[in-house]
Amino acid sequence: MSTRINIGPVHPSTHGVLHLAVDIEGDTIKDVEPHIGFLHRGVEKLVETRMYMQSPPYMEKLDYVAPMSYDEAYVAAVEAALGVEVKERAQYVRVIELELQRIASHLFFLGALCNDMGQMFTMFMWVFEDRDRVLDLLQEATGQRMFYVNMRLGGVTMDLPPDFTDNCIAFLDHLDKRITEYEKYLEKNPVFIERTKGVGILSAEDAKALGVTGPTLRASGVPYDVRSAKPYYVYGKLGFNAVKLEKGDNFARYRVRILEMRESSRLVREALSKIPDGDALGAPIRLIGPAAKNRVVTVSRELPRGECMMYMVSDPQRPYRLSIRSPCFINLYALPHMARGQRLADLFSIMGSLDLVMACVDR
Amino acid sequence: MISYSIITTWQGWLSGSSILLYAVAIVLYAIAILILTSVFAYLFGWVERKIIAKIQHRHGPTYVGKYGIFQNLADLVKLLSKEHVTPDNSDPLLLSLGPVLLLAVITFMVLLLPFSPTLQATNLGLGLLLVFVLVAFLPLILFISGFATGNKFADISAQRSVLMLISYEIPLIVVVAAVALLSGSYSISGIVSAQASSHWYLLLMPIGFIVFFIVMLAEMERPPFDLREADSELIAGWLTDYSGPYYALALFIDYTRIFLASLLIALLFLGGWSGPVLPGIAWLLIKAFVIALFAIVVRATTVRMRIDRIMRLGWLWLLPLALINLILVYILFVV
Repeated sequence: MSTRINIGPVHPSTHGVLHLAVDIEGDTIKDVEPHIGFLHRGVEKLVETRMYMQSPPYMEKLDYVAPMSYDEAYVAAVEAALGVEVKERAQYVRVIELELQRIASHLFFLGALCNDMGQMFTMFMWVFEDRDRVLDLLQEATGQRMFYVNMRLGGVTMDLPPDFTDNCIAFLDHLDKRITEYEKYLEKNPVFIERTKGVGILSAEDAKALGVTGPTLRASGVPYDVRSAKPYYVYGKLGFNAVKLEKGDNFARYRVRILEMRESSRLVREALSKIPDGDALGAPIRLIGPAAKNRVVTVSRELPRGECMMYMVSDPQRPYRLSIRSPCFINLYALPHMARGQRLADLFSIMGSLDLVMACVDR
Repeated sequence: MISYSIITTWQGWLSGSSILLYAVAIVLYAIAILILTSVFAYLFGWVERKIIAKIQHRHGPTYVGKYGIFQNLADLVKLLSKEHVTPDNSDPLLLSLGPVLLLAVITFMVLLLPFSPTLQATNLGLGLLLVFVLVAFLPLILFISGFATGNKFADISAQRSVLMLISYEIPLIVVVAAVALLSGSYSISGIVSAQASSHWYLLLMPIGFIVFFIVMLAEMERPPFDLREADSELIAGWLTDYSGPYYALALFIDYTRIFLASLLIALLFLGGWSGPVLPGIAWLLIKAFVIALFAIVVRATTVRMRIDRIMRLGWLWLLPLALINLILVYILFVV
């Protein structure tokens, strides 16, 4: 006989306001039914009522762990619609900032995963020290710590400050050491290993069928990363390699993020060494946008959580329709598939390994 | 068999020996033990917050009192001032009885433990057995109060407490049997004096010590075995629907339980009150505190285990290890 328990929307570990109706039989999960919409704000509709460059602040609130990534995806869609070219130096600056943002997001993931497995916030506090240093760097580069709104048509609001390169390299050296420490700490812990290895397996076929993207997909053995599949900006020039692992379990999803942080660290170093001189500033915000060149555009971006697509139908002054393919929304619907037959305690480690942000799911 | 050692000590001071005097002495002693337990539990709570904060590169409580020493007191006052909400489908009597019974049983167990040769309520000949019978009661009380709240999360927590009981109670008793076999006594003071005449049992049976320590962590709901109040899945487990004073009591009991566990470990494996210069009770408390500190570090750094893994650990690792320990003790020291 199965029992239905309702987890959330107010619960210590649902990453925001997610309601899971879970059928359990003893301690085994029979089915999971995610109920979403507690954080729905109608951003897609809201954007239609605003001028093009009034919307980035809304976009940032969609993913409060990696705000800049969403901002950039939206601005890229506007640039594609209006036919604006991004300046060479600005491309580098964006890549550096986006990769730093990805590092911050993956660090957050590490802490949240350990919390979901019942640790006393220790990992969380440790990674927040490092994340704080990323925020310091982004503050130097953009002037903000949380919601940056630093993308402008064709460029960014601020160029990198003069001492940014040194600070950034110093941080990345520190980060590489810390990641090695985290690896040692977690991967030599037998309890962590048995809570992650072989738990919540998602096969490559299922992952593709469910439309899962991002680190979750790459942990299942599909080397699909927008940065290498459809390179944008200077990712092609920087020699980006998509990370791939085969197992598709919690451990692989954790491991993919560790490897991606290393790859991001390498990318930032590479970009810092190759960054050309010149102008990186974008056009000032004009409330009345120029006439759109392409009426229908689809822009695809690799966010820390997966592939985000911005489908935009544009009118001269404002978007006629914006549709966001949210990576978290689609990854969340792989959760029932992965959790069936697992233990109740594993539901939360699997959910933690998906790295969900509920604002991104509900939009 | 039963000799009231503390009473016999006090008989020297107070002339005459009526049954009333016995009763008064026992009650006074019980109150003293309750105060000692509370002070230890309170200090342990503060030290735990500070040490976990240190491990996590934070400061921990700083504002209430010097180094935040009164923070837990402030929390207690806050919880006591809150309303006790009784959920509709709960059993109010059992709900409120749970934490009270828990505190009563724990205090009773501490009362049975000797603090030094002269400082003990009574030297029971079978004290060791009585203590571990009572230890097995703790998960049953949690089971009852878990079901009494009528909350599904508390129900799951109650089921887990029984699953945990059957997975580590047998290794625990086997290790205790090895201790009794080695010391030739079922009385706890007898075990301590047997250690004083040979070595600490930590050195004589390290395997037994490790098994006992792990089981005690599980018994006292310390991480990584805190499945009954696993916050990530069960919110607060059996405590989910507790509020106000009973919640405060339950949180306080958490710390008294660790006091009990570390006292047991210190008495059975670390030579109890034996030690140079300082009085016996000071040595016992120092040893108990060091063990409690170790439990704090474990709490701060591990992730939680899963219930099936705990059963596997209990039956496939702890029980064989405990049996090996028993056989080794028999072969090496008894034969």
